[in-house]
Amino acid sequence: MKLGLVVDLDTCVGCHGCATACKQWNTSGTIGPLSDKDPYGRDPNGAWLNRIRTYEVDDSPNSKTVNMPMSCMHCDNAACVTVCPTGASYKREEDGIVLVDQDKCMGCNLCSWACPYGARELDPQQGTMKKCTLCVDRIYDEKLPEDERKPACVMTCPTKSRVFGDFDDPDSEVSQLVRERAGKQLMPELGYNPVNTYLPPRNKPVVETYDVSSVKNTVKKWVNKVIAR
Amino acid sequence: MHPAFSVLVFTVMSGAGYGLITLMVIAHMSGLAQLQDSSTLLSGGILAFLLISGGLLSSTLHLANPKNAWRSFSRFRTSWLSREAVFAVLFYPFLLLYLFGIYSQGTELNGFFQLMGTVAAILAMVTLFCTSMIYASLKTIRQWNSALTPMNYLALGLMSGSLLLAAVQGIVAGDLNGTLQNAALGLVVLGSVTKLIYLFWIGKPQGSTIQTATGFTQASVRLLDQGHTSNSFLNDEFGYTVEANKLLRLRGGMLLLAFVLPFILLMLNSAALTLIAALLAIGGLLVERWLFFAEARHVVRLYHGDQRT
Amino acid sequence: MTSQANIPVNSGLPVFEDRDKQETRYTTCYMCACRCGIKVTVEDNKVRFIQGNPNHPINKGVLCAKGNSGIMKQYSPAKLSAPLLRKPGTERGAGEFEEISWERALDILEKRLANIRATDPKKLAYFTGRDQMQALTGMWASQFGTINWAAHGGFCSVNMAAGGLYTMGHAFWEFGDPDWDNTKYFMMWGVAEDHSSNPIKLGLKKLKERGAKFVAVNPVRTGYQAIADEWVSIRPGTDAVLALSMVHVLLQHQLIDEEFLIRYTNSAQLVVNTPGQKGDGLFYRGPEKEGQAGQPQVWDLVKEAFVDANLPDINPALFGEYTAPDGTPLRTAMNIMLDKYLDEQYAPENAAKECGVAAEDIERMALEMAHVAFKESITLDVEWTDWAGRKQDKFIGRPVSMHAMRGISAHSNGFQTCRAIHLLQVLLGTIDCPGGHLAKPPFPKHVPPGIKPAKEMAPNTPLKSPPLGFPTCPEDLAIDADGNPLRIDKAYSWDAPISCHGLMHMVISNAVKGDPYEIDTLMLFMANMAWNSSMNTAQTMDMLCAKKESGEYKIPFIVCSDAFNSEMVAYSDLVLPDTTYLERYDTISMLDRPISEPHAACDSVRIPVVKPDRDVMSWQEVMVEMAGRLGFPAFTKPEGGRKYEGYKDFIVNFEKEPGIGFLAGYRGKDGEKSLRGEPNPRQWEAYEENEGFFEMHLQPNQRYMRHANLDYLTLAKEAAWVGSTNQIVIELYSEKLQTFRLAGQGLYDGPMPTEEHHKERLVKYFDPLPTYYMPLEEQRIDREEYPFHAVNQRPMFMYHSWDSQNAWLRQIMSQNYLFMNRIAAEKLGIDDLSWVWVESHNGKIRVQIKYMEGTNEQTVWTWNAIAKRGGAWGLSDDANEATDGFLMNHLISELLPQKGDKIDRVTNSDPVTGQAAWYDLRVKITPAAPGETGAWPEFGPLKPQPNAKPSPQSLSYATHENVNLKRPMSDILTRGEQ
Ligand SMILES: Nc1nc2c(c(=O)[nH]1)N[C@H]1C(S)=C(S)[C@@H](COP(=O)(O)OP(=O)(O)OC[C@H]3O[C@@H](n4cnc5c(=O)[nH]c(N)nc54)[C@H](O)[C@@H]3O)O[C@H]1N2
Ligand SMILES: Nc1nc2c(c(=O)[nH]1)N[C@H]1C(S)=C(S)[C@@H](COP(=O)(O)OP(=O)(O)OC[C@H]3O[C@@H](n4cnc5c(=O)[nH]c(N)nc54)[C@H](O)[C@@H]3O)O[C@H]1N2
Ligand code: SF4
Ligand code: SF4
Ligand code: SF4
Ligand code: SF4
Ligand code: SF4
Ligand SMILES: [Mo]
Repeated sequence: MKLGLVVDLDTCVGCHGCATACKQWNTSGTIGPLSDKDPYGRDPNGAWLNRIRTYEVDDSPNSKTVNMPMSCMHCDNAACVTVCPTGASYKREEDGIVLVDQDKCMGCNLCSWACPYGARELDPQQGTMKKCTLCVDRIYDEKLPEDERKPACVMTCPTKSRVFGDFDDPDSEVSQLVRERAGKQLMPELGYNPVNTYLPPRNKPVVETYDVSSVKNTVKKWVNKVIAR
Repeated sequence: MHPAFSVLVFTVMSGAGYGLITLMVIAHMSGLAQLQDSSTLLSGGILAFLLISGGLLSSTLHLANPKNAWRSFSRFRTSWLSREAVFAVLFYPFLLLYLFGIYSQGTELNGFFQLMGTVAAILAMVTLFCTSMIYASLKTIRQWNSALTPMNYLALGLMSGSLLLAAVQGIVAGDLNGTLQNAALGLVVLGSVTKLIYLFWIGKPQGSTIQTATGFTQASVRLLDQGHTSNSFLNDEFGYTVEANKLLRLRGGMLLLAFVLPFILLMLNSAALTLIAALLAIGGLLVERWLFFAEARHVVRLYHGDQRT
Repeated sequence: MTSQANIPVNSGLPVFEDRDKQETRYTTCYMCACRCGIKVTVEDNKVRFIQGNPNHPINKGVLCAKGNSGIMKQYSPAKLSAPLLRKPGTERGAGEFEEISWERALDILEKRLANIRATDPKKLAYFTGRDQMQALTGMWASQFGTINWAAHGGFCSVNMAAGGLYTMGHAFWEFGDPDWDNTKYFMMWGVAEDHSSNPIKLGLKKLKERGAKFVAVNPVRTGYQAIADEWVSIRPGTDAVLALSMVHVLLQHQLIDEEFLIRYTNSAQLVVNTPGQKGDGLFYRGPEKEGQAGQPQVWDLVKEAFVDANLPDINPALFGEYTAPDGTPLRTAMNIMLDKYLDEQYAPENAAKECGVAAEDIERMALEMAHVAFKESITLDVEWTDWAGRKQDKFIGRPVSMHAMRGISAHSNGFQTCRAIHLLQVLLGTIDCPGGHLAKPPFPKHVPPGIKPAKEMAPNTPLKSPPLGFPTCPEDLAIDADGNPLRIDKAYSWDAPISCHGLMHMVISNAVKGDPYEIDTLMLFMANMAWNSSMNTAQTMDMLCAKKESGEYKIPFIVCSDAFNSEMVAYSDLVLPDTTYLERYDTISMLDRPISEPHAACDSVRIPVVKPDRDVMSWQEVMVEMAGRLGFPAFTKPEGGRKYEGYKDFIVNFEKEPGIGFLAGYRGKDGEKSLRGEPNPRQWEAYEENEGFFEMHLQPNQRYMRHANLDYLTLAKEAAWVGSTNQIVIELYSEKLQTFRLAGQGLYDGPMPTEEHHKERLVKYFDPLPTYYMPLEEQRIDREEYPFHAVNQRPMFMYHSWDSQNAWLRQIMSQNYLFMNRIAAEKLGIDDLSWVWVESHNGKIRVQIKYMEGTNEQTVWTWNAIAKRGGAWGLSDDANEATDGFLMNHLISELLPQKGDKIDRVTNSDPVTGQAAWYDLRVKITPAAPGETGAWPEFGPLKPQPNAKPSPQSLSYATHENVNLKRPMSDILTRGEQ
């Protein structure tokens, strides 16, 4: 299995719902707590596993605004794992989820240096590395109803722009989406082979205009039609 | 990259220490006359020990959770940091045995202690190489991800080591040995050349851009919002930005301190001035290391609005 | 198949959560007024997780960023913890309070209110902010006997409510939704987030999946506009030009739904055409019958005679000029529309100059919509009965829909602009049809709803009607014989005759000036009037502290109910701390704007999920308690004594009319009745069992054309949503507005204004047909001097002032910037991230600029309500919100720009509805001097509440010890390179 997310850039409105759902679930989740420094003071700064960035593509007045949520891509070639000296970082063999064993991490930051996607953040209070767990503590939890066995961010996304599934299974929703919508990896040139895939904005739908050549300027006057009320 | 002071101190000091011990062992073994003196050798050895140990201790300061530092030996198989840790520790018994040999037997070592010395020298270089590979292996930082990085680390370690060796020898013996002096001069030249090549190389635009980072390769891309208004771990760690002018000035100062001045001082043929040269070079290398970090631009910066790295 | 189905359950993992220690409860989110259903997992009275309720009609399982941050609201250090009384001898605004007991607090309030009620009830002004319990607070005010009550609508979006309710009986805002499932062309006007926060997002996703086209009309491209297929970068305040120009194009090509117009609107009705004479512009009516006013007439093409317009089976002429038997010249309302909108003023070439949208685009969009409406129409083969009892075999859908909000409403021409958009929708026949704009029960109502604003007051006597209602002619105004306003906010006066939500933004200013009179007590619930909710904030703070010569405050007593240490708290004399939304009982009532969906009547409740750890009481309880103590008739038993034990009891047993209460679900003795039925003593439990909401689906035949759908109207009458099953006729032409215009022209038999400027306003702005005029501020300033429009947007992750106390949300944004088009900024030599001065006719502020591509070149904008006073909200004195964030409110005046004429005293609001004209603001921008940084003006920090614990320096929230997933040592040692 190769578990991961598809993120739809055509529909993400940048609401940050997934980011806070993630914070909420995971602060009491397996890698939690996710601490915050100066939460009510100047420059609050905490650990998040999912952040939303917004870009403008092309120049004014033709620009397009694109919201881009980013969490761990659970890369196939996860250098964040290979560089980790303690073995705290690892990629699970059974499903490809990249995790940090909180009991083993020494907080050297090296894995965050190795990650191109900014997916790892050091917990300011605990000194251990935090990252997206793909909600491993939800997706396998048999005590949860089946349709809740998915990541918190996926459940909450109000535009359903996040889809979770098995990329190894060609029939899974994620695989189909990647095929149909020409899903893209970010920064493929680095060779990390990220599992999470982004669906680019769709082309504009084409709407016909009412063909007015026939009526234009021919009918000068409105004529009453008999229409019963 | 945010230059963490402890890491600068670590890499410069341990680099000098490893360079020093390596050169000393080579000179000792190859029978360089002025080094067949146990007080010189012991001084050099102890200095290397202190530099390396000080550096290693300093490196643990940047760990946010040092209680797990011992676990860093675990992933020798893939992690250059783990390898560095393993070799760094492995190095100690050989170094200590070698020094013990000198202490107990004087400069004429038997085969066993000679082997200890040789292995210590090799491990010193291997450790230094591992340190450099921690940086060189990161594809995320194009300024580091190159063979030039280990070359730099090794050359500069040897260079600073050679200056120290010459200084120690000169001070203990009272006058400077010409071979060591020449070796140091040569290594300063080598160090400066590798550094200049490095500086030239990182100046060339290459690597990932905001377009490849976002996947919008056909148009201009600008960051509108990074998703948080004050800083995050990522900004603090990778967002370090220095004004271009300041960088230029620091580069100039670094070249002067690390290479030009030591070279001149060395030429003056004085043990005391050689010591000053060594200290200046170490100071210069601290600046060099600071620049090595400050000029390194992690690809995450593309997501925070940089157009290219 | 869910994507989970193929993923095996891995029981090899540790047990992460101890489910036995956890409980799950359902309630309603109140991180904003969208009112999503939530499922809350609680552990040891601490909130573990808040998730969307998948069964809930509003959010269907999803939550927004705020909803997901409820934990940090619950544990905010800014929560008020006990009633506070301003320390005697200290000044308002100084924030010096003593904690008092609830008993004492309620006694103080009771005494004060009892005295006002027994002497002059209007001396109590009771205003509420972004609340959701207007049904209760409004009823409370009318029982008290003061007409000085209103909720936030006047400074929020009354233009949208009134624009819709005076046109078609439902509206945008919380009254209707696009038919997300069927629409093929969706145009969104001036919306950043709105209250249908999650439903809009769910809906947009559906559109995009279907390949429907989404056009966004907005000067700024963020959020929803980011995913629009087409972005129309309009110049603010000119949407009516765009809409009416599209109307022009449609009319030019005769692309209108004539059947819809004839059947469902008043456009065929005959209008008297006698300019300058009494009766001009009113409908030509038939003779009076049985004391009933004569009916509007149409010309029947078959009978060739005038007939009552509202009869079935007639054949009205949509076009034409006629002459009444008495010689009065007449023309159809449609004819007036043709004259008005075919005028060159609205031709795309001319419109383009005004609104900045290219003429080709205007024409193309109009024709695209026409194509979708008429060539891609959809048919639902459902039999239904029309208002006249005739069977119809299908619903015809014209799948073009629209949604509009504050980008339209927050302008002083917003009412007419909103009507212009409705006109466009109606001409295309897209109202309450499949794929069009759908009403949400209890809407639609008759045009307008049949409630008149109260005018008369007497001591110790309830009002005869609610304080707010819907005037239809000058007689309905709340003015005295001399034409002076009766209400403190001057609602229903000549300044703003149809201000059906009051003018919250004028209360403080008017009360301090004693204009029209002085008051005794200002009672505020959930309104941060000392900060982000007032125009002219700095001066409002001064006004709140203004004293008479006697040394008494001009507003003698200010009571506020807040849950948090907001800026308003410091300016209050008595502070009553509320519970949080997770701690209280509450109803989202059918008597208000409930959570209904287009095809289901729904309402919902809040049920406490955690126990408060402070000395707090919900405002709901306070209301019921006060009503009992003051002996309001509706809260008193016939034999005397209190009728209701508390809020829960009140909700169950109160009946507005037989069988109709606050909650429409699970009524009747056994809870088996819906909408109407006797009280059910177990009603709360029934809601609890049903996950906190009630949902009654409409039958397929009741789902569309509800303005003329007998099956629906019958149900609506039974449910007391409407007063009769008569057809709800869509009023494109508003005779009601015309009566005001006639009053302005001096041609009305009834109250008429005496002041010249009032007359002018009525003539100019009370056009019976949607029209465009330049926003009022723009009319009174030098447009060259103030070249930029300045507007706000709601951030999706912050609700007004509430969320800066939220440790998670404020990390997303604790400083706002002034966004400016890069090219416009470069022209002025303004650098990215530089500090600039922004100046309006009313004041200046210093702010930091941020470049943007997707902003209209003539517009600057910022996120709303990010700035905070230091010390408020549990924030440190140097919090970014206080030092770098800024409020645009300082630039916005509650009065029109001062020119030394009589208009100086007139509210900066829509002249029809009194809607606060926040977005009329025009500014100039100049670089700040080098070294001038930081937001300005600055206000000193506020004091924390007495006994407040200092806010923590760091946070690590978790409800249990986190269960780490361990990597086995063997794996660490043996796993090689991949
Ligand atoms: N997250 C969140 N949700 C909220 C709120 C909140 O504070 N936070 N507040 C709630 C409240 S009280 C309200 S009233 C609603 C308001 O909800 P919205 O209607 O979404 O209100 P605004 O954010 O004011 O958005 C106004 C939009 O109109 C645009 N605009 C400004 N002027 C014009 C114009 O002249 N023409 C056009 N076409 N567009 C224009 C602005 O760029 C902006 O995008 O949201 C509610 N929902
Ligand atoms: N510049 C500018 N100003 C604007 C707008 C704009 O677009 N631009 N928008 C305007 C609009 S549309 C609106 S609706 C207003 C919003 O105006 P308000 O409704 O006044 O705004 P809020 O900031 O939501 O403040 C409400 C108060 O309610 C308190 N509160 C929160 N929860 C509770 C609770 O559970 N119980 C009690 N008792 N109190 C609670 C908060 O602490 C806060 O003090 O702002 C207006 N102001
Ligand atoms: S995104 Fe970063 S942290 Fe996640 S697997 Fe890839 S490299 Fe590792
Ligand atoms: S910070 Fe922790 S997880 Fe990351 S490399 Fe260091 S030890 Fe491994
Ligand atoms: S999968 Fe879970 S941990 Fe990862 S971003 Fe989503 S919510 Fe956060
Ligand atoms: S919740 Fe969905 S729409 Fe919102 S930011 Fe995340 S991915 Fe985008
Ligand atoms: S939109 Fe968000 S904050 Fe508002 S009620 Fe729904 S979940 Fe709560
Ligand atoms: Mo509002």
